[in-house]
Amino acid sequence: MISNSRLSNITAPVQHPTTALQIDQLKLSIQGQPILHEISLSLPTSGITALIGPSGAGKSSLLHCINLLQQAWQGEITLHQKSIRQWPGGDEKLRRHIGLVAQKPTVFPTTIYRNVVFGIDGFWQRRNAHAIAEQALRQAALWGEVKDRLHAPAASLSLGQQQRLCLARALAIKPKLLLLDEPTASLDPKSKQLIEQALSQLASHIPLLLVSHNLEQAQRLGEQVIFMCEGKVIEQADCDTFFNHPQRVESKEFLRWAVCECD
Amino acid sequence: MLRLFIHSSAWLSFSGLLLLSGFLLYASWPIFSEQGLYFIAESEWYPYEDLFGMLPALFGSLLSVGVALLIALPLGVAAALFNIEIVPSCLQPWLRLLMELMAGIPSVVYGLMGLWLLVPFLEQQLDLLTGRTLLAAALLLSVMVLPTIMVLSEDALRKVADDQRQRANALGLSWWAVVQRILLPQAWPGIRLATLLSLGRAMGETVAVMLVIGSIDRLPEPLYNLLQPAQSLTSRIGREMGEASVGSPHWSALMSSGLLLMLMSVAVVLLSQRRWFK
Ligand SMILES: Nc1ncnc2c1ncn2[C@@H]1O[C@H](COP(=O)(O)OP(=O)(O)OP(=O)(O)O)[C@@H](O)[C@H]1O
Ligand SMILES: [Mg+2]
Repeated sequence: MISNSRLSNITAPVQHPTTALQIDQLKLSIQGQPILHEISLSLPTSGITALIGPSGAGKSSLLHCINLLQQAWQGEITLHQKSIRQWPGGDEKLRRHIGLVAQKPTVFPTTIYRNVVFGIDGFWQRRNAHAIAEQALRQAALWGEVKDRLHAPAASLSLGQQQRLCLARALAIKPKLLLLDEPTASLDPKSKQLIEQALSQLASHIPLLLVSHNLEQAQRLGEQVIFMCEGKVIEQADCDTFFNHPQRVESKEFLRWAVCECD
Repeated sequence: MLRLFIHSSAWLSFSGLLLLSGFLLYASWPIFSEQGLYFIAESEWYPYEDLFGMLPALFGSLLSVGVALLIALPLGVAAALFNIEIVPSCLQPWLRLLMELMAGIPSVVYGLMGLWLLVPFLEQQLDLLTGRTLLAAALLLSVMVLPTIMVLSEDALRKVADDQRQRANALGLSWWAVVQRILLPQAWPGIRLATLLSLGRAMGETVAVMLVIGSIDRLPEPLYNLLQPAQSLTSRIGREMGEASVGSPHWSALMSSGLLLMLMSVAVVLLSQRRWFK
């Protein structure tokens, strides 16, 4: 176990062919206020990585750095061994490869269908927009509820449905990396289960970074866990290792009492 | 008490509209009863021979206002976008203040500037007999309504939630795509209001137009020729009302121009109603 964690410590900064996303020494301050301190982590080319930590730990901020919605950071982020700052074609091209389901579901004030196809770009994709939209809605476990009212306003959906619509919208651009900020926060157990199944399927060919406040969900879905607190990565480990034999005191405390005090 | 106040104010303003049209109709009745409605579509305006063709002035009003909005609307919305997106945030309030000040300048001042600067400029640059043309009126009107359009569009654009823009950005939309597909559609009600208000101001503008339009009652040849002196309904009222004796056919014909102006503004408001667009 110890050798395993030492190994991962040693290999973390090295570019690994099985690494999809690599973050080195990421620092972020907003208005002089440090938000993220020296974050280093890596995501394999497939599978779900659960990102957990108390509220205000900087999880959403980290996701925004990864798709350059937040630009004011220092350090290095590479996606498939290419630095995202120098992404060919610029930020917009990069974001087409990264799906983001934000914490607060926000639908565009147009129809359900148009919401799903909003980000679809490119000639062939546009021609097949309908098929892509259907597939994305099915994956987001929403197709059954909306297939007869695709041209109704998206705002008429319930909050949980809107959240799934946001997921479908992110899936429709066929991302190579999916960032999910509590995608099941306002869902009932049934649709939560459907979404989790869909996410597990997706994770077989692309990496997912899933922020979750639900430790059971993190344990159920994650292959890897990253534990963050106060802008620092405290521990990155296999799911089993983390939940059964956490290495750090802070992790143990968090698992036991859901509190975190680190300095 | 408040209820009563609100109700009576509402009825007062509503009946004001009715009263106004009633009086205008009453005042212009003699000309309608004498000449029918045909004179509206005729193009000879010689008050002393009882010829009251409205068409040139009507056409001049519509064309100058149309051209003015065609210029001012894209420019105003672009200026609003520019101020929000490109100007550094420390300068934004100043640009805005400038525009608000410009929106408040009395129109006669614009008219004087137009007469002093714009008319000679057009005369020289385009080698015209006179710079007092439909084009001068249209340009002046566009300058006058530009600040209003910009200020109101800016308000509307700023109201679009940041969340929406962020989600669109996250989907990989370019800046221009976000403008086109998020900002402009959502700011549309505000931009529409800006258009309406400036349409009203431009259509009713009298003094400034009177100073630069040339005041010749003749249809341009060809019709789209902006480089000839022309006439507008307002400018003719402003110019001739003083010399028309009350109750004369001339007076009545000018009153009917007023009625026509009012009908036009009502038509604009009705046409711009949301429900027609669905
Ligand atoms: N735009 C901003 N300006 C100032 N401070 C910010 C900004 N965005 C985030 N922060 C701060 O960064 C810290 C991390 O915020 P973040 O939203 O990333 O937390 P989180 O881990 O996602 O929390 P939660 O689980 O509640 O969503 C917070 O202390 C927050 O106040
Ligand atoms: Mg968050």
